[in-house]
Amino acid sequence: MSYYLGLVQLIGIHTLLGLSAYVLMLTGQLSLGQAGFFAIGAYSAGILTVIFELPILPALLVGACIAAFFAFLVGFPALRVKGLMLVVATIAFGEFVRLFFFNLSWRVPRDGIEVGPDSTNGFREIRYFVANGWSAWEITTFVWVFVILVMVALWWMDRSRAGAVLRAVGEDELAAQSVGINLTAVKVTAMTAGGFIAGIGGALYAHTATYVDHLTFTVLLATFAISYPILGGLSSVIGTLVAVIFIQGVLVEGLRFLGDWRNIVFGLLIIAAMNLKPSGLFDARTARILKRAASLGRRG
Amino acid sequence: MGDFDFVYITQTVGDGLLFGSTYALIGIGFTLIFGAMGKLNMTYAAASLGGAYVGLAAFTFVNAPALVVFLVSALASGIVGFIAYLTCFRFIPIHNHLAALMASIGGLFFIDEIVIHTTDGSPLTFPAMFEDVMFELGPLGIRGDLLFVFAVCIAATAGLLFVLYRSRLGLATRAVSQQDVAARLCGIDVHRTNAVTFVLAGLLGGIAGAMTAAAVGVLSPLITIPLTVKGLIVTVIGGLGSIPGAIVAGLMVGALENVFLYFRGVNERDMYVLLLLFVFLVFRPHGIFGSAISRD
Repeated sequence: MSYYLGLVQLIGIHTLLGLSAYVLMLTGQLSLGQAGFFAIGAYSAGILTVIFELPILPALLVGACIAAFFAFLVGFPALRVKGLMLVVATIAFGEFVRLFFFNLSWRVPRDGIEVGPDSTNGFREIRYFVANGWSAWEITTFVWVFVILVMVALWWMDRSRAGAVLRAVGEDELAAQSVGINLTAVKVTAMTAGGFIAGIGGALYAHTATYVDHLTFTVLLATFAISYPILGGLSSVIGTLVAVIFIQGVLVEGLRFLGDWRNIVFGLLIIAAMNLKPSGLFDARTARILKRAASLGRRG
Repeated sequence: MGDFDFVYITQTVGDGLLFGSTYALIGIGFTLIFGAMGKLNMTYAAASLGGAYVGLAAFTFVNAPALVVFLVSALASGIVGFIAYLTCFRFIPIHNHLAALMASIGGLFFIDEIVIHTTDGSPLTFPAMFEDVMFELGPLGIRGDLLFVFAVCIAATAGLLFVLYRSRLGLATRAVSQQDVAARLCGIDVHRTNAVTFVLAGLLGGIAGAMTAAAVGVLSPLITIPLTVKGLIVTVIGGLGSIPGAIVAGLMVGALENVFLYFRGVNERDMYVLLLLFVFLVFRPHGIFGSAISRD
């Protein structure tokens, strides 16, 4: 049972990661640096609960704010370029963050043992949930409260003026600019919001895994982050959730019998999916067809 | 961390410049494909190292001489480049950059995993060439293997420029990169030309991969992502689509990398190379030789 709960927690955390890329993709920007913000959230929140001995909730929020702050900082130089150049810039940012944590060593004694990030050996003592006697059910609920909060917030935003502004920038920058939308402000805001969401995801990840090291936050994780909204489509936040359940729940778990060969299949699946359905598996057209089919079914 | 020693710094920069020629080759490969299709081929560095692995196999199993090792590496990488074109670019709509990018990232992980599986993920020693040759230049020494790397890179670049500017094939490639619709109207087969560009870039990449391995002395799957990132940085700093830009940026990144290595050590070296990219994004977002008009 706890194995399945772990999977449910992982799906929740990856949904947050995917949604952080989703916000940015609404404005037409593609970032391969989401793993970097995720790492900042993970390490910051971990340091706050382990070294500063804060409770989980403030640690998580502060960690997310730190990730958002770095997203804001990166936003300005990175958003001077767009498209493929932005992809390169964000890959570079993600690798920079990974190398930073690869070098970070901050050990302090707590309760007789040394704790804290230990450069290449990783950060091993993030045991807040264990130390406070949380059950697997409680942890899972905690994770999903944040997932649902973020999803509702994004869904609500999509129905408000802010969503229209984001999508306008994504559809046609020139047209958006000509009706008085400040492109830089919108893009940096989306980047910051994406950083915040990735930060929450990272903080939750660090505490559920109890152990993080720099190898967790590679380009592969950033690829996962953008592949969820690409596969799920940008018509609603539900698409991202469906894509996460499909990839993490069905593909990754379903292919477990392949053992080590699983990762090879993952590469091939991306190639196949992009060749067969270049604009996403659940793109707007598919969603419309599904909707029509569903309504027909109801009438008949 | 060392003291500031003029002779040693010059030596460091010199070694870095020579080694930077491999980055220049990788950068040229990225930039060639970007120039031709306006797309990023993320499989490129992985394919280059994959070629080097095949070259290494030729050395290990049939004890091939150095020249053959390089030729085999180049050929293998050219073939991988062709396969990458067929699987990740040929059948994806031409204006869907995102899908091609994702597919090639999938290809990157695929090649990487194949390498990890065949080698069990452990690093392999690559035969060093001319390691014991050392040229004395006053107080400075020039490592024979690095000089050899540099010479091969110059030869490869010259060969590429010859093909691009002095052959009908190169004419077609340049025509497609400038105006693919007009090129098609002139009767140029765009798909064939793009495939040739991928093979050319692959040949170059195989040489670069083997050179990197020969200069470092080991081949390991751990090199793939750093080499990809450095190749991309070189491409962006040089200006997307600019071959002279890639050469200058490659040498510059090589030299600066060695300086960072000298002052800050091996673990922090790459961080400063990545910061360099951000310096360029702030002050010169379109690179050294890039046009002011953004292309994406």
